[in-house]
Amino acid sequence: MQPAVFERVVVKNSPVYQYMKVSLVLEQAQTKLTAVELKHLITTGLKSLYGEVGAAFPFDLLTFEEDTLTAVLRVYSRGLVRLWSSITLLGFFQQQRCAFRVLQVSPYLLALTGNSRDLALDS
Amino acid sequence: MSLFMDLNLPFTADKKRLKTLLETAAHLGFSTVAINYFHEGQSKGKKEIPKPTPLAQLVDELPIVQGKSRPIKVLNRLTILVSDASHFRHNAAEYRAYDILAVQPTTEKLFHAACMTFDVDIICITVTERLPFFFKRAPINGARERGVMFEVCYAAAIRDSTMRRYTLTNTLALVERNKGKNIIVSSGTDKPLELRGPYDITNLAQLFGMSEVEAKDGVSSNCRSVLLHAETRKTACGIIYTVKTPNDSQPKDGPPLAKKQKTSAS
Repeated sequence: MQPAVFERVVVKNSPVYQYMKVSLVLEQAQTKLTAVELKHLITTGLKSLYGEVGAAFPFDLLTFEEDTLTAVLRVYSRGLVRLWSSITLLGFFQQQRCAFRVLQVSPYLLALTGNSRDLALDS
Repeated sequence: MSLFMDLNLPFTADKKRLKTLLETAAHLGFSTVAINYFHEGQSKGKKEIPKPTPLAQLVDELPIVQGKSRPIKVLNRLTILVSDASHFRHNAAEYRAYDILAVQPTTEKLFHAACMTFDVDIICITVTERLPFFFKRAPINGARERGVMFEVCYAAAIRDSTMRRYTLTNTLALVERNKGKNIIVSSGTDKPLELRGPYDITNLAQLFGMSEVEAKDGVSSNCRSVLLHAETRKTACGIIYTVKTPNDSQPKDGPPLAKKQKTSAS
């Protein structure tokens, strides 16, 4: 059998988008929310930290799993710091405490399918 | 060499709460945390400096740090709110029980004294109200030469929008003065839902005007400097750390281990 051939691809341009995998942790774990509510929550966070201009910043909610409250966000690379800082500083959802846990950030959507930090390399 | 540390988890007598707090910190990837005992300096009444509770009494089993397969390291830290120069006693025996010593000065004069003469590891910057003084270059430089770090807590910024403004203003002023060096960012909250991961904090610190490298130092290597500084403080002159480098047991010929595994799978 031929050994696997690897191709090295170098991307020189800075990536257009950054993808973030986030999960929402709520004080009352049984609270349900929809994708629309989640996006509204993030937009509120952006608005409270960056004002009207910040709230108008385009970002997309690509997927949202309602049972685990995990979402994938897509944002222009330039706005990553802004979006990330605003969800870091989000502390409340409808008068209950909440926290966003940013699980992964990558310029490639494919990278979010698995987490290299969870691999067991020594086994 | 970047172990993440959070050097300000306030002490709560509630054991269950402290346990969940430590578990959350370990889950987020912090390798070392410090339990903070707060002491308000008083000239009259002579309030006792609290004794740190032994760790064995607080938690039965230390949680494992995510991705490290090692239990979290917990230290004790004392923070003294200084509103008069006499509140900080040099070389007091009570301070010896703590791993880290921090002061929170309230006036410009005390800030100057804390930077230049106080034998401490951390100077806390007030983030919950407007700073009553401006940062001057002389004390900041003095603190840098002595290896004293400034601490900013981010929990207040999550709690309330007014405090968020004060946090940003005070931190921006500090970063402007010492160019992002000698700053550590820690949580300062006893609620697990107000803790944030190390990379979140790194990103947040960029908002304070620090560069990416400085921001990462703020949760990793600067915190390590604090621990080393704290150990130096206890001794006469200094400490030396030696680390045994692991012997290269891999065979020299042939491709490196990682590459070999890939081809052997095919």
